[in-house]
Amino acid sequence: MEQDAQLVQRCLQGDGSAWEELVRRHSRRIYNVCYRFVGNRPEAEDISQEVFLRVYRTLGSYRSAHGGFATWMTSVTRNLLIDHYRRTKRDRLTDSLEDKMPVVENKESSARRPDQQALLGELSGQVQSALTRLSPELREAVILRDLQQLEYAEIQQVLEVPEGTVKSRINRGRIELARILQQMGVRPS
Amino acid sequence: MTWTCDQIEARLSDYLEGMLQAPERAAFKAHVETCDECAPLLASVTSVVGELRSMEELEAPAGLVYAILDKTLGPREKVTAWQAIQNFVLGMATPKFAYGAASVMATFVILLSASGISLRKPKLAELSPATMMRNVNRQAHRAYASGERYVSQLRVVYEIQTRLRQENELQVAPEENKPRSTPDKQPDRNDDHTRTQPKQQNRANDLARQVEMLAAECPVVLERSYR
Repeated sequence: MEQDAQLVQRCLQGDGSAWEELVRRHSRRIYNVCYRFVGNRPEAEDISQEVFLRVYRTLGSYRSAHGGFATWMTSVTRNLLIDHYRRTKRDRLTDSLEDKMPVVENKESSARRPDQQALLGELSGQVQSALTRLSPELREAVILRDLQQLEYAEIQQVLEVPEGTVKSRINRGRIELARILQQMGVRPS
Repeated sequence: MTWTCDQIEARLSDYLEGMLQAPERAAFKAHVETCDECAPLLASVTSVVGELRSMEELEAPAGLVYAILDKTLGPREKVTAWQAIQNFVLGMATPKFAYGAASVMATFVILLSASGISLRKPKLAELSPATMMRNVNRQAHRAYASGERYVSQLRVVYEIQTRLRQENELQVAPEENKPRSTPDKQPDRNDDHTRTQPKQQNRANDLARQVEMLAAECPVVLERSYR
C-alpha cells in the first residue's frame, strides 16, 4: 500500500517507469473485476484499458489519506463498469427478447456456440454465467466480497454506501445467485 | 428465541461469516434444522460462496499492459538493432554489472591458480583433467602445510607473549607490595628485591634470545605481533 503511494508520487513527478510498475501491479486484478462483472473477455480488456486511462488522467486527485490506492482504483473501475452497464442496457434488452424466443430457437442458438457450452460445462463457468444475471448492485457486492475478498469497510468505500447496505447487498446477492443456479439446473456439491 | 424464515434469510451471510452472537447462532441453527425451506437454502448458499471463493484469478491478456502503456505514455519507440546493441553496452556500464564481472573474474582467477594453471605461461598440457587434478591436490596440500606452519608459529608467539607478561607482572608485584618506609629493617638482613634481581635478568635474557631466534625464523609474524 505504501509502495503504491510512493509510485503514485513518482508518477506525478513524471516518472514513466513508476506508472509502468503500477500498471503491472494492478492490471490483473482490475481485469478480473471487469471480467467477473461483464462475463466477456474482450469487453473486460477494453474496460480495463479505460480504467487505467482514467486513473492516469486523474492520478493527481488521489489522496493516500483517504484510503489505499487499490481501493481507489477499484472505485474507479466500479464507476466505469456501471457506466458500461447503463450504456449497453439497450443491447441487453434486445438480447433478452431473443432469449424469450421458442425453445427450439434457443437450442439452435446454443448449438452454434460450442465454446461457450464447454465453458458452461464447468461449475465455475456456470457460476460466472449466473453472476452476470444478477442485478449490477448485487453483482458488484458479491464480486468485491467473495471474489476479490475485500473487507466490508473497503467495499463500503468503493460503493459509497453504508455498511448495513453493503452487508444486505452481499447477502441478497448470494441468495439470488444460489436461486439462479438452481433455476439453471446446477446442483451444487 | 424463535426465528422466522425471513429472519434466517436476512442473517444468512452473518451466520456464514461467524458474525452472530451465541444465542443468535443457536436460534438460527434451531430453525434451520427443522425448516424444509431454510435448510436447502443454507446448503446452496454455502456451496455458492465456497465455489466463488475457490474460483481462480484469470491471467490478464498478454498485450493488456502494453496496450495500457501505449495509451497512457504514448507508443513505444521502435528500437533498431544498432540501438539495441548500444543499450546493451550501456546497460553493462553500471556499477552492479561491474561488481558482478569483477567477482566472476576473481573467482575464475582463483580457480585457475588453484588448479595450477600459469596465466603468464599457459601450456596446453596443463588443461588436461589429470594434470589439473594433480595440481589441485598439490596446491591443497601446500595450503594445508603452510596453514599448519602459520598456526604453530602463532602458538610460539603467543607463548612468548604470555611469558613476557608473567615476567612483567612479577617485576611489578614486589614494587607495589614494598612499604614506603622501612623503620624496622635490620642492617644485616638481605633485601628480597635485590636477591631476585639476577634471576629475573637471566630469564629476560633467555626470552630475548628466544624472540630473536623466532624473529629470524618468521619475521612477518613477529613484526605483526609486536607492533
